[in-house]
Amino acid sequence: MRAGVCASGPSAAERACPCSTTSPAPFVAAARSHLRCHARSTSAGTGLAGAGRAPRRHSRRASTGAALGAAVALLASIVVDVAPALAQAGDAAAGQAVYQRKCMGCHGEKGDGKGPAAELLDPKPRDFTSGIYKIRTTSTRMPSDQDLFRVLTEGMPGTSMPPWAVLPERDRWNLIAYIKSFASEKFKEAPKKLELPKEVGASAESIKRGREMFEAIECNKCHGADGRADGPSRPELKDEWGQPIKPANLTKRWTFRGGPSRAAIATRLAAGVLGTPMPAFLDSVEKPDDIWHLANYIASLGPAAPAYGTLLTATAVGEAIPDDPQAELWKKMVGQNIPLMGQVIADPRNFNPSIDLVTVRAAYNDREIAFHLTWDDPTESKPDGKQTFADAIALQFPPTLEPGGERPYVLMGDAAEAVYQLRWDSGKGVSEVTANGPTRVRALAGSEATGKAAYANGQYQVVIKRGLGAQDASRPTFRPAVFTPIAFQAWDGGAGETGTRLSLTSWYYLRLEEPQSKARFVIPPVVALLALGAMLVIVWAANRRGLSVS
Amino acid sequence: MRKARGAFIALALVVAGAAAFIGGPGSAPAQGGGGTIEAEVKYNGAPVVEKLKVNKDTQKCGTEALIEKIVVGPNKGLANAVVSVVGAKGATTAKAGKPVLDQHGCKFVPHVLAMTPGEIDVKNSDDILHNIHTYSTANPSVNKAQPKFKKVMTEKFDKPEIIKVTCDVHSWMLGWVAVLPHPYFGVTKENGVTKIENVPAGKQKVEVWHETLGKQEKEVEVKAGQTVKVGFEMKK
Repeated sequence: MRAGVCASGPSAAERACPCSTTSPAPFVAAARSHLRCHARSTSAGTGLAGAGRAPRRHSRRASTGAALGAAVALLASIVVDVAPALAQAGDAAAGQAVYQRKCMGCHGEKGDGKGPAAELLDPKPRDFTSGIYKIRTTSTRMPSDQDLFRVLTEGMPGTSMPPWAVLPERDRWNLIAYIKSFASEKFKEAPKKLELPKEVGASAESIKRGREMFEAIECNKCHGADGRADGPSRPELKDEWGQPIKPANLTKRWTFRGGPSRAAIATRLAAGVLGTPMPAFLDSVEKPDDIWHLANYIASLGPAAPAYGTLLTATAVGEAIPDDPQAELWKKMVGQNIPLMGQVIADPRNFNPSIDLVTVRAAYNDREIAFHLTWDDPTESKPDGKQTFADAIALQFPPTLEPGGERPYVLMGDAAEAVYQLRWDSGKGVSEVTANGPTRVRALAGSEATGKAAYANGQYQVVIKRGLGAQDASRPTFRPAVFTPIAFQAWDGGAGETGTRLSLTSWYYLRLEEPQSKARFVIPPVVALLALGAMLVIVWAANRRGLSVS
Repeated sequence: MRKARGAFIALALVVAGAAAFIGGPGSAPAQGGGGTIEAEVKYNGAPVVEKLKVNKDTQKCGTEALIEKIVVGPNKGLANAVVSVVGAKGATTAKAGKPVLDQHGCKFVPHVLAMTPGEIDVKNSDDILHNIHTYSTANPSVNKAQPKFKKVMTEKFDKPEIIKVTCDVHSWMLGWVAVLPHPYFGVTKENGVTKIENVPAGKQKVEVWHETLGKQEKEVEVKAGQTVKVGFEMKK
């Protein structure tokens, strides 16, 4: 569906890294390698607190024993996929071979995070020689082997680090042994497990206390009052290597580097995120339980997964459609989440887009159609034309709808086929444009499109409205029950996005739901009554005949 | 435990031997018989102070933050320079009380703090969130939040090194903690002068360190009961 955007991978790494050559291994192969690795499981592990025993070697007493052993191994391999893996001592030399095939492109030959792809990535790949790791469940500075294994297996959401579950488990343990060798001095100290306070469930009371603590410890300084990564310290934040770093958007838990669970959030809060400005709060809350109250509050700010929409529906309404983005009508409607990706087709490209999601609501009546768009942007841009540009969003449609016809090129059309866009730009408002490619965008004369925008706490809400009918051939006509192609483009001017430095989607479909007439309340009861009447007549007739026969 | 004690005795012997060797024949031991070094550090250039517009906590931080990279007094005296005796040995409890690093007005006070290995109290006098973020290599680096209700935190710097301290909430906040293996050090005031007392007599190497101007070293002859002056001229 998104082939047109050339964004099948999750990130720039997939496009830029040699790692993109990995395709998910078939399940059979994965299972086989599991078996192999368990059959070979040998040395004791190096992990935490006695967890470091490798699964015991199965004795070969008899053939039945062997068969049993194989069954156990198979079972173990299944269990391992579900439960956290037990730490195993990896072979650094074997890990090096895997590293050179899969990791070097980003992390560099020397493990210093300076691979050929590094310059395009944000956040930058980990410098293993520093021995600084973001995600750890330890109270000491170094992560446990399981911490490394989990990040390697599950990847780091919101970054270019993909999950490497496709690699055989043995390869992953070998990789960990090799990665540790880049900072072997620092790994000499045995990691200690972080002791979190006793877990507190996510009750309304706990969330309330969490909110109070959120304000008391001033999480808003970086993460913003509503958690949308728009705090006043945001532009100043640097990581340990002096690179600018963004705070997490707490309403998008699926981008959390260490995972979205409450336990993961509590652990990050307590231990901090090393190498970043995020400090440890374990001893810096009022009461130990507050760590959990905070985690519960943060988890309440947004879903663990984004639930992306597929088909957009414009709801038919009988009333006038309000311009005001805060109006009741919009609050009653459920928005569809549409993911956006960086534009990497035309130069200058945008490898690290700022806007990754727009929530869409649409409504129409007998005269006009309106779109309500919500997206996060950490800064309300006041364009200066040099470093800061206008924040903007565009809805794109083909100007004419031919049933079964080909849609225009998704990146603003091309010389042969134009696209029509409804745009909103900060400082300018709503406009209509026609485009034959990103460099040939022209405003349409006689625009009747209107709209209104609101910005608060790191979020835009914009309503864009237009008449259903087209004034000319450059504009589409919106008709009920027709699948109308629609695409979205967005710019965060505060992040320097302008022109082709944008986020975009491929073509989606918009369907104006058919107006529901009052007839639906009349026809079904009438049909039911008629059917009942007919049945009564048949029964009456049958009874009469039966009587006359007897 | 036994092992540790053994190691300690061995270390003590080595230190005693080294001290005897350094002291040489005729020089008095440090206790009571030391001399004073008065160091004057000068800088011939202009002060370097960067200004930054503050966009938060202005009631505590003011509207403009000053990043004082080079502070020069009236007589070209260079402030915030750490002067220490290189390779000196001595009791690390000589300086009384626990050192205190305060976060006050969104600044680290003092800007440069020198201490012997051990504990340090980190204060938050601002009633707003700070975080103490150290860039240390010998000591474990810390990044701990210090919200408004956490008035004092105690940290431990056991190993000698010069540690950069920052606060990520207020990016202009910068401080330095010099952990020295002995009590023979001082930090220059605005006049560029600091005195180091009870320095063991004999030939001593004196080192100056400044955050932007780097290091310089000079040799002096310390005599018991006397003050020896040494001057430094720092250059960019």
